[in-house]
Amino acid sequence: MIAVALRNLRHRPGGFVATFLSAFLGAALLMAFASLLDTASGVDAAAGHESLTTTATVGGGWCLIIVAFAVTSTLTLAIRQRDQQIALLRSVGATGPQLRRMIVGEAVAVALVASAAAVPVGLVLGRVLVGLLHDTGQVATSVGAAFGPIALGAGFGVTLLGSLVAGVAAARRAAGHGRRKQRPRLRRLGAALFLLTGANCAVLTATLMYGKGIDAMQTAGQAGIWASIGLALLAPELLRLVTAVLSPLVRLFGAPGELALQGPRLSSAVMPVLLFTGIATGTVYMQGIEDRAAAGTTQPGYAQDIQTLNYVVVGLITVFVAIMLVNTLIAATAHRRREFAQQRLAGATRGQVTAMVALEGLLITVTGVLGGLVAALFTVLPFGSARAGRVWPDASPAAFGIVAAIAVMLTATALLRTARRSVRGPATAAVRS
Amino acid sequence: MTDGVSLDSLYKTYDGGVTALDGVTAAFPAGSFTAVMGPSGSGKSTLLQCAAGLDRPTGGRVFIDGAELTATDDTAMTKFRRTRVGFVFQDYNLLPSLTVEQNVVLPLRLAGRRADRHRVREVLDRLGLGDRAQDLPERLSGGQRQRVAVARALVTEPAVIFADEPTGALDLRSAREVLTLLRTVVSGHGRTVVMVTHDPVAAAYADSVLFLADGRLAGSLQAPTADAAAERLAHLGDRVGAEA
Ligand SMILES: Nc1ncnc2c1ncn2[C@@H]1O[C@H](COP(=O)(O)OP(=O)(O)OP(=O)(O)O)[C@@H](O)[C@H]1O
Ligand SMILES: [Mg+2]
Repeated sequence: MIAVALRNLRHRPGGFVATFLSAFLGAALLMAFASLLDTASGVDAAAGHESLTTTATVGGGWCLIIVAFAVTSTLTLAIRQRDQQIALLRSVGATGPQLRRMIVGEAVAVALVASAAAVPVGLVLGRVLVGLLHDTGQVATSVGAAFGPIALGAGFGVTLLGSLVAGVAAARRAAGHGRRKQRPRLRRLGAALFLLTGANCAVLTATLMYGKGIDAMQTAGQAGIWASIGLALLAPELLRLVTAVLSPLVRLFGAPGELALQGPRLSSAVMPVLLFTGIATGTVYMQGIEDRAAAGTTQPGYAQDIQTLNYVVVGLITVFVAIMLVNTLIAATAHRRREFAQQRLAGATRGQVTAMVALEGLLITVTGVLGGLVAALFTVLPFGSARAGRVWPDASPAAFGIVAAIAVMLTATALLRTARRSVRGPATAAVRS
Repeated sequence: MTDGVSLDSLYKTYDGGVTALDGVTAAFPAGSFTAVMGPSGSGKSTLLQCAAGLDRPTGGRVFIDGAELTATDDTAMTKFRRTRVGFVFQDYNLLPSLTVEQNVVLPLRLAGRRADRHRVREVLDRLGLGDRAQDLPERLSGGQRQRVAVARALVTEPAVIFADEPTGALDLRSAREVLTLLRTVVSGHGRTVVMVTHDPVAAAYADSVLFLADGRLAGSLQAPTADAAAERLAHLGDRVGAEA
């Protein structure tokens, strides 16, 4: 079955692009932050040892959570899209364990190649991070960037482990039962745990960290990330809710609207939109509150570190999640070639198929952006209370508007371009492939 | 008698350079049931798709119900098909996320027309699917799915129904049900049916059989019996085999 796995990779490399990209980018980010620890070894306190380790643990920690989540969800999506091939293999006599070996084998092979390809990128990114710390004077310029065992270990280790775990879980779901079985209870339980952790961090921020100044950022930032992941796990429920609320509006568009409401739910596409909106909004407003509160006061030396860090981390995570978003949407739409073709054979024009996809995109974006906004409040409200003594921030909604606009633009571009590509050519050929 | 479908020297060459249709001229009278037979790869599916406006011929003209299919872009072809043509596929092509009833009314809704619930119910009842209207296709047998597909092809009341091996995936009994249904569509409702089949027994349900070999017409048979159709088909195979 390992041979089948490798042949699959060679024959249909397109099917693995999404998984590869998320593993590749994730590994590169992790390597970059972990390489700061390599750099820190042998650097003394005066030269900025602590700046390096703080940046590495805080930035790397955030990345770790998000990368693990991204890699698992992409891989799960990719495997779920192949239930036809898996059913076919089963029908010609592949046993459960054989299928499991095939799926896990593919996942590990992709993770290995992606991590290896990420090494040069991680190395360069690590240098950029050290350069940033040089520029802000937090690390002595005499300290040269290193890239060693910690970077490689973290990059390869996390990516491989994440893929392995996701592969085993997805394989069990795909191979264990003839019909794929969703596990909503486990997912909801996970969501509740993440949300509780987020709420806990939020409460800690507002109570324990009250008046502690910039230190409150640590727990406040975490609160938003945990909440984002928790809500992302609830994507199917949230999407159903938004769909129900917006259905009268969507119905106004006639048949494409009906198809968008009746079609398979694209909750996997909500996740990256929600993560992106939640993390970006939360961090930007948190830093805004901090900047206003700190204006004209003397700050502890590491305030600068944290500011740099916040912008770097939010920048990197935003880029990462944006790529994930496009990635997931492209994977989810390209796989619907056959569905689109069947709609066209039933009398839908290309324009109607595109309109349906656009309406689905609307539902996805509204769900993701609203969910992200709620998740961001887990960061913003307690931090505002702890740092500035006011729960509702004294900030303009413009930044949120920009984040939401970016989410809309990314979703629309990715969805429509892929949909348009998928309806190219005659429909009769597309149902056969 | 007017023609339900008429084809005027139809040519189709695929991108790879395969000539699937090599000048086919044929007429299918309105209110007739015609079977199209021929060896595998002789161009039957291509003929049907070009005639139904699902694919564009490289050369030649297609008339359906008196109107010429002149549309050049995909959207115009779709709109032409909507009102005139129903198509039944070997593998049903029902949308898995829609219920039986939603699948059946889909062509109407796409054309921006209201679906008359009573009429749809009536059609489903007549096809023995009255109690399955709210089921998803995955819960139906192959024969039931194909009957849903026929109902969907009928719902816009098209003049012509094309069926490409509609019984190819069905057992004997389900096949008989679907064929009887197609027969009623012709005798009871005056529609034109053109059906591709490999099965001489299925062909015997038709008024006539048109034979195709190497993308060209290779004769026809009126009031076919299963034996006669099988015999002609076998000789067609010999001839094609001998030429190759
Ligand atoms: N999309 C395509 N691209 C290239 N060649 C094609 C395509 N579709 C069909 N052909 C070729 O055109 C010829 C006729 O194919 P067609 O599907 O019409 O045959 P058929 O008579 O329906 O065969 P069967 O009985 O096996 O269904 C064949 O040689 C086939 O290989
Ligand atoms: Mg065929």
